[in-house]
Amino acid sequence: MKIRPSSFGNPWLQLALSVLCVLASEFLLKRGAADVAEPNSAWSWTGVNGLASPLVWWAILLIIASFVSWLYVLRYIPLTIAFPLSRVVDILVPLGCWIFLGEFISTLRWCGIALVVIGLALVAKPVAQIEERL
Amino acid sequence: MSFLAFFFIVASLLSFVMAQLVLKRAMEVTRKSGFRNLQFFSRVAGGIALMTISFFLTLGLLQRFDLSYLYPFQGLSVIFITVTAAVVLKEKLNLQLTIGALLISAGIVLVSLS
Repeated sequence: MKIRPSSFGNPWLQLALSVLCVLASEFLLKRGAADVAEPNSAWSWTGVNGLASPLVWWAILLIIASFVSWLYVLRYIPLTIAFPLSRVVDILVPLGCWIFLGEFISTLRWCGIALVVIGLALVAKPVAQIEERL
Repeated sequence: MSFLAFFFIVASLLSFVMAQLVLKRAMEVTRKSGFRNLQFFSRVAGGIALMTISFFLTLGLLQRFDLSYLYPFQGLSVIFITVTAAVVLKEKLNLQLTIGALLISAGIVLVSLS
């Protein structure tokens, strides 16, 4: 892992921030797109009409922020570890929908979430050991 | 699934995987020679271009297929990126990491199928 900055410059913190930005942007996009939806317009297929929603612009800002954090993460953490960990967002989105939007999660989906959690633990474990030794 | 659909799904996946590898290379350059150099700029530009290609290919696919049909393929990006990072970037890959990546991929596929 070599020498790297601490506190705000900590790449693990930046990885978490990047994931949180993506998570928040997904919800903002969903809300924003729903607010300005024009299913009857042919143009709406391109998604361009979504730009009329301020929430979509906030989402775009968050996506840019997550990209900058992600580049920073890539500077310090191997892709074989950083990328699998970043996919925690794929279970945070359904969990967020379950908690905040009251959406239903099927048994099969819970099994999928469990598999991802076990996979994340396997990827994160060697990292935790390396960090402990430092 | 038609051959054309398969082609575009693979193309969007490959361009996404390549983008991550190129961006990783770009950021590795900055550790040795900082941000103000041509190699960094050209690689970041290449990475962003590849991400843009992947984005528009996905947008085109989304207009023709359900998200629940397309998302499992995105789940495969975890295992693709893990393997290509080990092969192309010579990153260390052990059994535990491989199994972890496989489980995450399988989990994402299950989450999006149900």
